[in-house]
Amino acid sequence: MDKAYLIQLAASTAAVSVLVGLAAWAKIARPVGPLNLARAQELLSEEFPGRSLDQVWVATDGAGALARSGGMALVLCRVGDGFAARQIPWAQAVSSSFRNGRLRIDLSDISAPVATISLPSWPPKDLAA
Amino acid sequence: MKDFNPVQLATPIFIVTIILEIVLARLGKAKANYEARDTAVSLGMGLFSGAAGLLTAGLVVASTLWVYEHRLFEIPMTAIWAWAAIFLLEDLTYYWFHRLSHERRFWWAAHVNHHTSQHYNLSTALRQTWTGGVAGTWALWLPLAFLGFPPAMIAIQKGISLVYQYWIHTEAIRRMPKWFEAVFNTPSHHRVHHARNPRYLDSNYAGILIIWDRLFGTFQPELDEEPCRYGTVKNLATFNILRVAFHEWIGMAADVVRHPRHALGYIFGRPGWSHDGSRDTSVTLKAAWRQQQARAAPEPEAGT
Repeated sequence: MDKAYLIQLAASTAAVSVLVGLAAWAKIARPVGPLNLARAQELLSEEFPGRSLDQVWVATDGAGALARSGGMALVLCRVGDGFAARQIPWAQAVSSSFRNGRLRIDLSDISAPVATISLPSWPPKDLAA
Repeated sequence: MKDFNPVQLATPIFIVTIILEIVLARLGKAKANYEARDTAVSLGMGLFSGAAGLLTAGLVVASTLWVYEHRLFEIPMTAIWAWAAIFLLEDLTYYWFHRLSHERRFWWAAHVNHHTSQHYNLSTALRQTWTGGVAGTWALWLPLAFLGFPPAMIAIQKGISLVYQYWIHTEAIRRMPKWFEAVFNTPSHHRVHHARNPRYLDSNYAGILIIWDRLFGTFQPELDEEPCRYGTVKNLATFNILRVAFHEWIGMAADVVRHPRHALGYIFGRPGWSHDGSRDTSVTLKAAWRQQQARAAPEPEAGT
């Protein structure tokens, strides 16, 4: 590679670092408070329009939620100052590993590999079937 | 003139204006949201997109030169009419490139990363593809060389278009004057293009002139009653830059391996297409949204 290109790449990398640092310093991310039931339901309805929500579990830290909709589990997890949502079979959600108050859900999606949701217990005894 | 590179010249302006947007937002003087990891991914994609482009640059240049050698006309680079013509023709080419990049999965795989941010700020403009060269969409510009436009002229006009499209990636500018909104692509029009609301999907593909969307039926104005929600239909749950760059290619390859009999559909179908209809495309999402709107609308009174 030619020297001028490497110098340009180094200068650009330095500029990117400064800009990312400035963005972090400015603290101008979207205000996103912890989820409550109403907000979780609203977001789930936006992400999965027309789907019924049989029951919703909101993460204890407000950083995600899980809902049952028929045979599917609707998963909502915080990404930065936004959210991402995926659906997986309910049985897959029920069998997800639960340790130290954290449910680790394998979403089997290259763009959303795993969701971690803090819950008091899992699976819910009345719905685990 | 042949060495004129609009993108290289504009790079300091990119840096200064991003600083300005952040500082003004911090001071409450402009509307903008920046999340540090999101910004890092956007700028990282921009930083390495040039390097990724070098991988196929030889092929692109050689193909363009070969086609130019077989050109139909001699078009002088010094003529004003030639610049006016390439401005219009390049912008028309961009419209169809952009539309193809949204409506067919193979090309969407290369373009999707530009839409993966849930933010809409100047850094989003720099979230550029690493795989555009591999996707081969550069071939859409070859007819311009065949017509007789010198390759340097085509490259310059493509650069001008890219630089133009930088400033429209902002929420800080609400609306431009009416005459400008009617003719040119603007922050308002392009916000709609980046929105994931069903109403806004697959619209406003313009580069510089919004007239192409008006002409080909893909124009959608930004509505005050429906604020744009940015990102993709299925937002990414990761800031891993490699996943951002390659996730759709990997997803497409996995679908082809799982369902080889339906390979063509998974490669060249609409993004979200599936052989059993179990997934949503922009078409099904829009149809469901229209049905929902129709159900929610009050029924007209009898006799009126």
